[in-house]
Amino acid sequence: MSNHAKPLSIRDALYEQPGPHTRRRVLIGTVITAVLVLIGIGLVIRQFYITGQLAPRYWTFLAQPTTWRYLLQGFRGTVSVALTSGVLALILGLVLMLGRTSGVKPLSVVCRVVTDFFRGVPSLLLIYFFFLVVPQYGVKLSSFWMITLPVTLAASGVLAEVMRAGVNAVPRGQVEAAMSLGMRPARIMFKIVLPQAIRFVIPSLISQLVVVVKDTTVAYVVSYPDLMQNARVLITNYDALVSMYFTVAIIYILLNYAINKLSGFVAERMGVKIIR
Amino acid sequence: MSLNHTDEIPVIELRHVDKHYGDLHVLRDINLKVSRGEVLVVIGPSGSGKSTMCRTINRLETIDSGDVLIEGKPLPKEGRELAAMRAELGMVFQQFNLFAHKTILENVTLGPIDVLGMKRDEAEKRAMELLARVGVAEQAQKVPAQLSGGQQQRVAIARSLAMNPKAMMFDEPTSALDPEMINEVLDVMVELARGGMTMVVVTHEMNFARRVADRVVFMADGQIVEEGAPDEFFDHPKTQRARDFLNSIKGH
Repeated sequence: MSNHAKPLSIRDALYEQPGPHTRRRVLIGTVITAVLVLIGIGLVIRQFYITGQLAPRYWTFLAQPTTWRYLLQGFRGTVSVALTSGVLALILGLVLMLGRTSGVKPLSVVCRVVTDFFRGVPSLLLIYFFFLVVPQYGVKLSSFWMITLPVTLAASGVLAEVMRAGVNAVPRGQVEAAMSLGMRPARIMFKIVLPQAIRFVIPSLISQLVVVVKDTTVAYVVSYPDLMQNARVLITNYDALVSMYFTVAIIYILLNYAINKLSGFVAERMGVKIIR
Repeated sequence: MSLNHTDEIPVIELRHVDKHYGDLHVLRDINLKVSRGEVLVVIGPSGSGKSTMCRTINRLETIDSGDVLIEGKPLPKEGRELAAMRAELGMVFQQFNLFAHKTILENVTLGPIDVLGMKRDEAEKRAMELLARVGVAEQAQKVPAQLSGGQQQRVAIARSLAMNPKAMMFDEPTSALDPEMINEVLDVMVELARGGMTMVVVTHEMNFARRVADRVVFMADGQIVEEGAPDEFFDHPKTQRARDFLNSIKGH
């Protein structure tokens, strides 16, 4: 496609090309920053060394396959909660958005309140609700659903708003053309507006999965064996706080980096312009 | 062409149509009749309400008071009935408004399949005929963004024609086009007019108006100021407002 633009860098999008003067200043700034960062890292490592965190006994258990098998179990838990929540939140978010934009006043108000509620309430609070309040009313939930449902609800509010932004971005003329052909509002929404809206926001929708993944880390509250929970068990077993959290952090970073890559890839395939 | 010998009921009729945008009185007591096969060209300075008037005919713009009649029947206000009436009227927009996520062929077959319930094979066969007629058959599998403005507008005309409309409205169909593409669109419209299509054309193309129009309507400040046969209007405008307007665009 002719409008298949290369991704813009933020600098290209916001500033003009730097001249020789600016380039020199940028170079000086880069060198100073790099030195400061290196010093910072050095200080951290030194502190760990002094406090004995780099001692082999804190790290050798990472060489055992059982450790990784256990972490992998947790990773699977994280992925299944995140994927289930992601899919459910997409559906719920779509329903909320359709309700809000429906033009039926009471429905629209209800959907708006629900959306804003889930967007505004911290997911941890929702988790406590499903963990502590819901069981009191005789509803038995597995720990999987105790974490998946609140994460879903929290994400659905945000996703509803992301999708609404997409719907608003579809030019009015598309709707007018469809109306002129004699199409009815519901069909216009599903055949003309939504397909285009989803294309506009698909990178944001996928990026939102990152937030879902991070939300799943509070699964330890309900003792669901996700990556974080299993890491905590390992920490207790080996008394290895820093090394374990460090390892788990890297796994989360890699996972979320992969999700971001995916969203960039999808955006490029669909010809959506994004600024990195 | 506007001999009114077949039927006395106009295809499109506006009676005492009024519309306000807040304090702005955009349409003032508009009365208009368009007979079968007639080509009506609406001209006037920007802000005169000509586009708004054109869009009231299929209720893309609502009106405050007055009546819009299609073949003598009042235009329904909403719902299934309004949609059904819209399906019988073609509309061509300044910005083409082709469905951006669909191929050219799908743009033309969507209405017939979705609204008229036509079978896909039949709709596609007919769409290809129409695309050939407007000269873009080779582009059928592309998406709108890959076409030039002139090509897109010709597809938009084919999309309207696919619905077998009783009349077609053109809302400044060439105003968004590069100069070298204007004629390819006007040629298609001339062809349509010759074929007996009932047309309401809002345009700034005075040569087109003179050549093709059966009647010219001149609007200013939300009113129809003057109307008449094209030669008469362009050569001997009756009102000062029309003379000023024609003078201001001379030399183009």
